[in-house]
Amino acid sequence: MTLLSNPWIHGLVVGTPVLLVFLAASALASWWERKFAGRMQNRLGPTIVGPFGILQPFADALKMMQKEDIVPRAADRALFNLAPVFPLALALAVLAVVPFGGSWAGDEWSSALVVADLDIGVIWVLAVSGLMVFPTWMAGWASSNKYTLLAGMRSVAQGVSYEIPLVLAAMVPVVATGELSLSGIVAWQAEHGWLVFWPPGPGLFAFVIFFMASLAEANRIPFDIPEAESELVAGVLVEYTGLKFGLFMLAEYTHTIAASVIASVLFLGGAHGPMPEIFGPMWLVLKASTLFVIIYWIRWSWYRFRSDQLMDLCWRYLVPITLVLVMITAIMRGFLPGGAS
Amino acid sequence: MAALDADTWAALRGAFPSALPIDADPSGPVVPVDLHVAVARFLKESLGFTMYVTVVASHWPQADGSDRFEVATVLRRPSNPSVTAAWRLQIGPEAEVPTLFPLFAGADWQEREQFDLVGVRFTGHPDLRRLMMPEDWEGHPLRKSYAIDTPHPPWR
Amino acid sequence: MGSSTSHGAAPPPPAPTRDVRPLRMRVNPFLDIDQYDPEADLMALNMGPQHPSTHGVFRIKLFIDGEVVVKAVPYPGYLHRGVEKLCEKLTFAQLVPIVDKHDYVAPMTNEQAIVRVVEEALKIEVPRRARVLRTILAELQRIASHLLWLGTFTLDIGGTIGGGASVMMYTFRERELILDLFEMLTGARFHYNTHTPGGNRHDVPVGWPERVKKVCDVIAARLPEYTAACTDNDVFDLRSRGVGVIDAATALELGLSGPNLRASGVDHDLRRDAPYHAYDEVGVNVAVATDGDCWARYIVRMAEMEESLRIVRLLIDDIPQGPITALKPVKLHTQIKVPAGQHYAAIDTPRGELGTYLIGGGAEKGAAAFRLKIRPPSLHAMAALPWILPGNTVSDVVAILGSLDPIMGEVDR
Repeated sequence: MTLLSNPWIHGLVVGTPVLLVFLAASALASWWERKFAGRMQNRLGPTIVGPFGILQPFADALKMMQKEDIVPRAADRALFNLAPVFPLALALAVLAVVPFGGSWAGDEWSSALVVADLDIGVIWVLAVSGLMVFPTWMAGWASSNKYTLLAGMRSVAQGVSYEIPLVLAAMVPVVATGELSLSGIVAWQAEHGWLVFWPPGPGLFAFVIFFMASLAEANRIPFDIPEAESELVAGVLVEYTGLKFGLFMLAEYTHTIAASVIASVLFLGGAHGPMPEIFGPMWLVLKASTLFVIIYWIRWSWYRFRSDQLMDLCWRYLVPITLVLVMITAIMRGFLPGGAS
Repeated sequence: MAALDADTWAALRGAFPSALPIDADPSGPVVPVDLHVAVARFLKESLGFTMYVTVVASHWPQADGSDRFEVATVLRRPSNPSVTAAWRLQIGPEAEVPTLFPLFAGADWQEREQFDLVGVRFTGHPDLRRLMMPEDWEGHPLRKSYAIDTPHPPWR
Repeated sequence: MGSSTSHGAAPPPPAPTRDVRPLRMRVNPFLDIDQYDPEADLMALNMGPQHPSTHGVFRIKLFIDGEVVVKAVPYPGYLHRGVEKLCEKLTFAQLVPIVDKHDYVAPMTNEQAIVRVVEEALKIEVPRRARVLRTILAELQRIASHLLWLGTFTLDIGGTIGGGASVMMYTFRERELILDLFEMLTGARFHYNTHTPGGNRHDVPVGWPERVKKVCDVIAARLPEYTAACTDNDVFDLRSRGVGVIDAATALELGLSGPNLRASGVDHDLRRDAPYHAYDEVGVNVAVATDGDCWARYIVRMAEMEESLRIVRLLIDDIPQGPITALKPVKLHTQIKVPAGQHYAAIDTPRGELGTYLIGGGAEKGAAAFRLKIRPPSLHAMAALPWILPGNTVSDVVAILGSLDPIMGEVDR
């Protein structure tokens, strides 16, 4: 275990599988979404490539590689080429602090399945997901297209606004547990019960709002205003072709997966489950997949808000509600047995 | 369907006794051009023909080579039973009639279309541009003098 | 809150938040952009002709202040095919397959509009069997067209990758059933060429009425699914209520017709007010909504589908026996000649009043029209855009455009 206690080696050993697994999961997710949407819409979805069409994402990737890489003449070349790199990097960086399993007793193994068990894991998650606005804006601005510009503007407004309920909703677990590290929050939940249940009212509300704000951050319906393809054609992606477009698409799935993982870690007990600790990752996968299914269920059955209605929802409802939730949680923490640390 | 039913014709005749012929033409009465707006206003405000239906301009080349144009306007009374009222204007080669836009907002595009395709100018129209054909199109396709196989430059 | 205390007079009613004057009095569609507030940072956004949500090839230039439209300048004509010129060359029998291509979502009613003006002009008495069959076809076509409208409207407000697409897939499933019926009758799924002046070319095949009844049952059972997906969805409500309001006076002035007019509170339907085909036998219950917004247009169309189902079910049971084509005064429908004279006839298609203004006595002693003008309801709906778009956001532009149910083939002809 001495070798693993070197943070560099530890990060490499744990991080590489995490990276590969989540990239593969994103590809799988895109196949699964198409299949799911197909079944929801009275059709079959992909069936040709591989068994049940499961190789469809790879066929798509192959196709995108063959596409001509077009950079608009008026585009800001450097920013335009740089923008597709960040969303995927940021979505994966969020996962660095997620405890995928481990024991709750506090021995050395507890940190074994985290790439980097930061003491300020929650802040890291929020900060990195807050950065997601930048690549979208970079793409929107650099494409030098009015539609992408509008989409970029909307995206920044939406991202910055929804950051606030997201952070405030994440404050509920932090205040309740007194922990800022994600493994600490998971360990607390293993001991006292999941946060979605624990502060009896606020936990559930905070979970719902966190989930909604994550949807908005990940630009999913009903909050997918920045890429509202009925009015903005394809949002910031209008001018992107080939692999750059593919990177954005992959990042979209990775981001959605990351959002479900973070929500299940913060509120649903993460890797904690009834079976022995070795099954931890399985529980996390189960919980995150459930949230992921819900996200796509919503996506394929709901309509899109208008941007002003979106802002209304955020500033007039979510922000005040989350503020009250944090206050209630702070008060309850003093009185309830499970909460006092 | 006669262009005007008997009651409407009687009322219209009562309002403009000297300018209109005694018998209604089954194809729609021919109204002097300067009465065009007045007739439309009377039909709209007094007889309830509030719905704008259409305006049809047509080109009638004469034997002596001069051009005549006819502009028919159709309004509708949205009641039960619903009837239409149509009247015609006959104009010479100057091809100018007053617009109905101040009375009917729908006349905007309909008159633009007739200007575009037949080449009748609607004086007083706020925005008389081509509607269907490209802005730099030459000629008015629905004139009889415009052959159906008129070559046109490639689309730019 | 504005609640009054127990003493004292009641407070004055709250000022209306929305400008309720007729559009004519508060919107200037010809606004000079240079005269607009010089502080504002206007952007000209060109939407179309290859934009996904313009329902075909339609171009609209928006001047936007932030996200709010200040002025909208539509440019139709990208689909202009010069059909009216063509109509001056072709005989009346040749016109029918041509007009199929105007409103390519409801070709059946297009044909009926053009044969009706010829029948009016020549005073042809259509046999009752043909009239009943035409009524059934028109109403089936109305259901199919409204289903397609619902699907594309939800696409506009819900996204092509989202809930809207799901509704669209389901509406297309039901629409297929109706297209199958038409295929069984005419052999074509889209451009039927089944009407001729004086009657129909295709008689009712064996087993067709039973199949129509079955399809009606299926669609009637599935209409509540759309209510569940749209009416019961809060976001659908938010996106469509109060958006793109057209008041009754302006709607009439603009020449809006059909569901768009009825959604503005005008109780007018040609099927009832100027009956043709066999509508005087069935009695049409006209669906009217008063709000004039996208929601009202949706509600009216949903109610019209129910009404159409009722009419079809009423007529399908006893289609009268007899000839399907009038033999007098036209012996051969390819030999029709319309003498000089001017005629206007209109029917109520799924999109509204599709009128045809025919000036007879054209080429070859009236074998072709001298001038034939088609009055497309969609053109008038599109003419409303410069009036209703200013003040709405870019997102609402597509919602409003979609709610008006434009078919560009018909707008441009």
